[in-house]
Amino acid sequence: MFNFDWLSGVSQETAKMIFLSMYALIGLLVLLLPTEYIYEGIAKEDRHWWNNLKLWSIVVLSILASIYNHF
Amino acid sequence: MLAGIDYFIVIAYIVGMLLLGLYFKKFVNNSEDYFLGGKSLPFWAIGMSIVVSDIGALDFVGVSGQAYRYGISVGNFDWVGSVPAMLLAAFIFIPYFWRGGMYTIPEYLGRRYNQKVRTIASVTWILFFALDLGVLFWASAVLLNVLMGWPIWISIVATAGVVGLYTYFGGITAVIMTDVVQFVIMFIGGFALVFLSLYEVGGWDNMVEKISTMGPEYRNHFDIIQPQDTKSPFPWTGILFGLTFVMANAYMIGNQSIVQRCLTAKNEWHAKASMIFGSALKMFIPILVLFPGLMAVVVHPGLADGDQALPMMIKSILPPGLVGLMFAAFFAGLMSSVDSLLNSTATLFTKDIYEPFIKKGADDKHYLKVGQITTLVLLLIGVATSPISSDFPGIYVAIQTFMSYFQGPIFAILLLGIFWKRTTEWGGLSALVIGIGFAIYLNVFKEQFFTIEDPFLYISWWSFLLGFIVNVVVSLLTKKHTEEQLKGLVFRSKILVENKKL
Repeated sequence: MFNFDWLSGVSQETAKMIFLSMYALIGLLVLLLPTEYIYEGIAKEDRHWWNNLKLWSIVVLSILASIYNHF
Repeated sequence: MLAGIDYFIVIAYIVGMLLLGLYFKKFVNNSEDYFLGGKSLPFWAIGMSIVVSDIGALDFVGVSGQAYRYGISVGNFDWVGSVPAMLLAAFIFIPYFWRGGMYTIPEYLGRRYNQKVRTIASVTWILFFALDLGVLFWASAVLLNVLMGWPIWISIVATAGVVGLYTYFGGITAVIMTDVVQFVIMFIGGFALVFLSLYEVGGWDNMVEKISTMGPEYRNHFDIIQPQDTKSPFPWTGILFGLTFVMANAYMIGNQSIVQRCLTAKNEWHAKASMIFGSALKMFIPILVLFPGLMAVVVHPGLADGDQALPMMIKSILPPGLVGLMFAAFFAGLMSSVDSLLNSTATLFTKDIYEPFIKKGADDKHYLKVGQITTLVLLLIGVATSPISSDFPGIYVAIQTFMSYFQGPIFAILLLGIFWKRTTEWGGLSALVIGIGFAIYLNVFKEQFFTIEDPFLYISWWSFLLGFIVNVVVSLLTKKHTEEQLKGLVFRSKILVENKKL
């Protein structure tokens, strides 16, 4: 049990899909965050698309997913 | 050995860092300046600082060694082992700590559970950081010994002297701003080695082809996802359960030296952005620290000790001048890790141990002085304990072993504390004590329980799970906290829609 023997039947390809699905799920959760919360700390008149931390997160997750997809 | 120009670069770098660090002495007027940089720092500096302090000597030497032995799967630590956890920290945990005006993670645990939990967590981190310092010093000695032929103790004492001086005077502002310069130098030096090594092995495709034909032990060298039954320490089950679910979160959310940086941000947006920016930079780290180890398989096959891979590559690939730059890059990584540990441990001791137990209600200048003196004492402890890490076969694994004792249980109580209001002080305390005890037990008898070489990922998962279960069971059996006691300490969805109201 301590060695996760019960998962020995899961192939490397399936395991990779688990990781990729996890990145997609995290991305979805980030997109669901209220925009007001994302910008908290910046004055309303100074808010621009490049301050949008959702966008930052999606870019980072996309790069991560592409690395796992490649290797 | 270094050429004349290399010595010049290294000495210019060390003196430059010392002067830059000491420049920030003038910004330290009280304990908030010393421990939280006056809450005035921008996201980009904090993001760079998080990354560079996380990839010190351990990654340059240790990860290259692991990549030499096990291949690209060691990159999981900087990819899946960082990014998801940093996003979770950025959007959920950091805003809580930032809005609560906290200095330390144990301070949150103390408010959420009780003083005992705070003290145990703080003492645990202080011990871990002190041992960590020793490992860092030893890692520097390994490289210096191979590269320059310096005696072990001379390199350790020299490192301790320079870093100790600017951390003592400049506090966390000096730590973070020197980290920014160290980050730039590390990236320049690291990429120089990667490009020249790639040229030496005839390009990426040629390297892959050569390594793949070297024998069955290299069959999975380019698979980031390793099978469950691999003999390496990185089966995908360990990466998912131990690293992604526990160790990464514990490190990014529960690690004082990481979280404290975010708490220096000038506002909440900068605090969140620092983590996300850091996660983007983190993805480049495997290129710097892992690729040289892979290329060493082609250039220096058959090394008995994988930790020699990076020093050997530096020695054989880089021309004079770049050797000095690479050494400065390595030294940058080392210094940034050491200064972080020193400042964070001084914060933990001053805020969680000294202030509540030794001298309550003293004036602010007194606590500032205590923080500075603690920095000096820690430096001496780190130097004295450094030979311990020589007993472990892989430097990087050594540090993970230390971390696996504590990370799982601490993350279990942090997670339940912030997300489940029914968690009680006795639940948290018993989870912490039993979880840490279980992790130590598993580690002592690991040959009986585990089939992989270094099961630190599995140990962190199982100790987390036990800590989680114990916390739930004991909490349900003990008296719950009142709504008033929990105000501002437990996650509520309204934090997302009603800003500044916890």
